[in-house]
Amino acid sequence: MSGRWRIVLTPLVILFCAACLCYALRPTPHVLRVGIFVGSPWGVPGGDIYGMLDESIAAFEEAHPGVQVTYVSGISRDDYSEWLAERFLAGDEPDVFLLLPEDFELYAAQGALLPLAPLEKDDAAFDASAFYPAAFAYGQYDGESMALPLACMTRLMFVNKTLLAREGIAMPEGRWTFDDFYRIAAAVTRDTDGDGTLDQFGVYDYDWQLAATATGAQLFRDDGRASYFAAPEVEQAVRFCMKLSALTRGHQVTPRDFDLGRVAFRPFSFAEYRTYKPYPWRIKKYMNFEWDCIPLPEQPGGTPHAPLGVLLAGISARTHEKALAWAFLRDITTSDEVQKSVLAHTQGLPAKRGILETAAPADVFGEGVTASLTPALLGETLDHAVTAPKFKRYEGAMLLSDTEIAKLVHGTVSFDNALNRLQKEVNAYLQR
Amino acid sequence: MPGNESLIGTPRAARTLAHRILLVYNALVVFLLAGFMSVTQQKIIASMNARAFLEDLPAMPLSPELGLALSLCALFVLWAAGHLYRRDTLPRAMHWTCLVIEIVACLACMRSLNLAYDGVVLLVVADLMHRYEGRNQGADYSLAAFAVHAVPFDAYTAYYVEPVRAVLSALRGGLVSLNLVLFIGYLVVILKGSHAEKQRIAMLNDQLADANLRLRAYAIEAERTAETRERNRLAREIHDTLGHALTGIAAGLDACIVMVDTAPDFTKQQLVKIRETALRGIKDVRRSVKKLRPDDLEQMPLRDALVHMTQEFCASTGMDVRLNILKMPAHLREDEEEVVYRVVQEGITNANRHGHAQHQTVTITVEQGRIYLLLYDDGEGAPVDADGRVEEGFGLKHMKERVGLLHGTVRYESGQAFGGHGFSLEVVIPERKAALSEGAEPDTKNLQQTEGNDVR
Repeated sequence: MSGRWRIVLTPLVILFCAACLCYALRPTPHVLRVGIFVGSPWGVPGGDIYGMLDESIAAFEEAHPGVQVTYVSGISRDDYSEWLAERFLAGDEPDVFLLLPEDFELYAAQGALLPLAPLEKDDAAFDASAFYPAAFAYGQYDGESMALPLACMTRLMFVNKTLLAREGIAMPEGRWTFDDFYRIAAAVTRDTDGDGTLDQFGVYDYDWQLAATATGAQLFRDDGRASYFAAPEVEQAVRFCMKLSALTRGHQVTPRDFDLGRVAFRPFSFAEYRTYKPYPWRIKKYMNFEWDCIPLPEQPGGTPHAPLGVLLAGISARTHEKALAWAFLRDITTSDEVQKSVLAHTQGLPAKRGILETAAPADVFGEGVTASLTPALLGETLDHAVTAPKFKRYEGAMLLSDTEIAKLVHGTVSFDNALNRLQKEVNAYLQR
Repeated sequence: MPGNESLIGTPRAARTLAHRILLVYNALVVFLLAGFMSVTQQKIIASMNARAFLEDLPAMPLSPELGLALSLCALFVLWAAGHLYRRDTLPRAMHWTCLVIEIVACLACMRSLNLAYDGVVLLVVADLMHRYEGRNQGADYSLAAFAVHAVPFDAYTAYYVEPVRAVLSALRGGLVSLNLVLFIGYLVVILKGSHAEKQRIAMLNDQLADANLRLRAYAIEAERTAETRERNRLAREIHDTLGHALTGIAAGLDACIVMVDTAPDFTKQQLVKIRETALRGIKDVRRSVKKLRPDDLEQMPLRDALVHMTQEFCASTGMDVRLNILKMPAHLREDEEEVVYRVVQEGITNANRHGHAQHQTVTITVEQGRIYLLLYDDGEGAPVDADGRVEEGFGLKHMKERVGLLHGTVRYESGQAFGGHGFSLEVVIPERKAALSEGAEPDTKNLQQTEGNDVR
């Protein structure tokens, strides 16, 4: 390069570099994008996640001047999974987003979620033990924290109070057992109009999986490569279901039986309870009988294991606002206000412990509801609740075992060593 | 042969061309594949199949624009680093840096292409081969560990219907194969080039040997020419000085012979003139001879010249020479001084050159009208034949000639004759006065003795 060119080019290059530097260092507003959906995560009408988060977003923006939190509204629960996948594929996924149970494993395995363990360790304000243990563990992948629980869901037992009163049976109070359950179911199962066919039943929709959860059976190894169907807990659960099924003498209990008030018990999610119990939904369903919910029956002498659903929230591994994203995620999962608004705006339960215990029953169960359930009992249920496994072949394995066990329960196949065979079959499927 | 390299068709030019083709082809393939993936990804998003697409992927793919931009950027960096790497003017550390950058860029390029195309590895291998021909030609081509976190290419083709999918897979296979073909072509060019280079070096070697031979002949020729020139100079000198004087003297004497009876006085005057001519002639001869004498002797007395010479020799060769002058001969003629000087010089030179001696003692003394020069060293000694006689070289022969002119004798013994080592030299030169008073008889005897000892 000759001297003259150098004289001309050097200032130009310096100018260009300075311009680039200025552009790079320009003050830009920090935008934190949040991925949420409209409606309830638990498949019931109503529910308002926006309402739940709007307050916390406003509070967050106030606490972090210059930060803007945005979200795309109008994505339904059913479209959310596809929407999130599209955003990931296009590379413009939100920084913090809700994770549906079916999506968590996928994104965690692909490394699309930011591992939270380092952030949790560095943050003195964070305490993992503040969550319900099963809910926190649900956000872990390979033993590493990938997402935090925002809200929980558990299942309860719907009780037809009118039917029990008619039969002169006292409503079970607090924790109750398989024996109570069977006794009541046996007592109410009968032919009321004398036409020779059963027309009143003990239970509808109570399946072996709920029973197995109650007995504390672990169906699969943590890595999802082996099953434990031959375990005594599973046998106990299946035998209990067989006993219950035998009561109906082959009669298939239908939803219509339930709706007409001819069934004493039915498993019911808390979200359904929270939706249909207060006004206005209470006038739409189950108008012709009194009903309430109690915890699911326990195995005598065991721990109250109830199934637990969890709504997770995670951070994208590609986020440019790591610190902000973490601060926001921590706020919405651990702040008492947001966790209380889970109760107020969604039909879910807070993932943080201690919220239920201090809340008024009206906040937990809805205005004007007189529940036989107490918030403390609900909290205790959540403390011991267990989540379903998340591994990829879980659905397939459950479908397979469900079919086989249904045959056992309905007595079309002899028990013998059926569970051993099932375990072999499922293992073969899992290891394929 | 610098002229050859600028021509098209030389190994280097062919290699550069082959490399360029390889590079352009790879850039094209990278662009095609990255573009294909980018477009497919956008189509998947548009047709709302993203969740199903992600379902089977082991890793999250890059966004369409980022994937395309990153792969092209990485390829550009790969090219730039490779270009620097192939230049021979960079320092060693920079070469390594370039290589590392190149490998990193290669990995980045493949990663952004989801490992659908690993042909860029061959670009790095090609660069490695460019610098280390025949040596580091191995490259780890297995990227299985890396593949765990990449989206398989089939996941992209799976989006399309069956006939298109088959065509796409075939196309990709074809691209990979063509790259291999190009790479092999490049290898062939390199190997051919390296063969031609070897041939060229062999040819240059031959030429060099030939030139060496001619140079040696020329050196001998030049030596001969110098010798002849010197001889001519001496002849001229003798002709100009001695010849001139002698001619004058002869002519003058002729005149004297004619005039001596008729005019004795005039003849006397004439003889005086002839004597002057003779003296002038002697002066001229001395002047000529002076030109042939060593510098040291010209500038300082013999003793100092000897001391100076041995000291200089010690300093330059590291050999320890002890000069032992017991008695310095007085009134030596210049030619005698020169012989003494030369004998000592030749003696210590031989001890160093042939005997590889570490120590040498030179003793000079005068005893009973004879000058003794005694030289002993602790070197290997001279090689001897079956009878224990030393093989005589040019130096010794020359020394004998010089000493013989002064009627002196030379004796020497090699330690090897007795199974030992070392070399001793003894030179005896009669002093001039003694030689004159004793006459020619001892000289003859000395000469005979010399001959009897050495020349057989």
